[in-house]
Amino acid sequence: MSCREWQDRLQGYVDAEMPPQEMEAFRAHVAHCPDCASAALSLMEAKGALRRAGRRYEASPELRARVIATVRQAGSDEAAGKLRPSSSRVIAWPRWAMAAAAVLLLAAGLFFFADRSQRPNSLAEFADLHVATLASANPVEVVSTDRHTVKPWFQGRIPFTFDLPELQGSPFTLDGGRVAYFHQEPGAHLIFSYQKHMISAFIFRDSPQLGIAQASFSNRGTSFNLQTWTQGGLRYVLVSDVNAATLQNLAALLQQHP
Amino acid sequence: MQPANDSQQEFESLALPLLDALYNFARWLSHDQSEAEDLVQETFAKALRGFSSFAPGTDFRAWMFRILRNTFLTSRTGLQAKLTVPLDPDEEAAAGVTWETPETLAVASATREALQQALSELPLAYREVVLLCDVEEMKYAEIAEVLSVPIGTVMSRLARGRKLLRQMLASQRPAVIRKVDGRR
Repeated sequence: MSCREWQDRLQGYVDAEMPPQEMEAFRAHVAHCPDCASAALSLMEAKGALRRAGRRYEASPELRARVIATVRQAGSDEAAGKLRPSSSRVIAWPRWAMAAAAVLLLAAGLFFFADRSQRPNSLAEFADLHVATLASANPVEVVSTDRHTVKPWFQGRIPFTFDLPELQGSPFTLDGGRVAYFHQEPGAHLIFSYQKHMISAFIFRDSPQLGIAQASFSNRGTSFNLQTWTQGGLRYVLVSDVNAATLQNLAALLQQHP
Repeated sequence: MQPANDSQQEFESLALPLLDALYNFARWLSHDQSEAEDLVQETFAKALRGFSSFAPGTDFRAWMFRILRNTFLTSRTGLQAKLTVPLDPDEEAAAGVTWETPETLAVASATREALQQALSELPLAYREVVLLCDVEEMKYAEIAEVLSVPIGTVMSRLARGRKLLRQMLASQRPAVIRKVDGRR
């Protein structure tokens, strides 16, 4: 591709929306094209300058209080049935159904899930993220098999750091990473491959917001295997279609580096 | 407070962390503090009412920004902005607008104040897309959802908006380093 063609695509590069193959080709091109390299750099700098200039206003404490009051008022109106039933999930359920559900919960001993933030479907959402990423044209934002490239890439993008194991000699390779959002919290999404299978490793700060009750857990899902644990205040979730034993092997590698 | 219900609590835990970002966006759209505050409050109220229709697992942030933007567009200031700033009818033609290094440097080296001034003068259709992409760091797909337009339109508006910004900033700089005759 000529410089002119690359320059038309630079926007995708600075916005991290370039497909991985193109990204590789672009990296190869800039390695010996100072013009394109400086163009990319100045565009990145321009983007950074705009980001800093654009973060200009913060909600005042009064506004925060007002918003919270609005939400709670509306929420309690709703709970009290002042709004139309159709607009509410809660009162859309007949009372007998709620009672029946409560009995079922008791019977199943699911007090564990009583805290509403511990949504049992959180883990399924990780499986969805895994599938969505693999289906996208641009699964990784940083393409590298080198842990020393991938790890620093996350600096400033996520609010924590983590360690990556040496994969040399293991059957796994690191394909790259991207920033993932889960319940509005940024975290790392690493993509490993094992033979022809892809494995997603999600790393987030562990908090009740994540909605994962289990300290560690593995699941043979219908189509995906899932493994999760916490380590050093971080929540790790592995999702893949590889078998549970293989997933366990990767988990063990990651756990060697607390 | 009162016996708040679960969906309201869930809404709070998802929405409150977005307060500053939504307010920042509202200020940039409306250019007015009290209008921005009202917009944000209305957005939260509307979003909570519509929360039962929000599909879990889809992009909550894009959903909130979309509500805020739609609320703004139907406000008086929003209607005026829409009327006074017709979108470039030939949007697609702007796709692939090339940068020119001196202009780009004008953005990178502009003072924060100059950038803020240029951004606030940018027509609404470009201002919002630049804010969502560069300030909120949304993906193109997310921006497309907020604006309810195709991704191609996001990309072309973004290219055009950035070009306008570069031109605005470059014109403030000495002519010596300004490039007037297009790309090399």
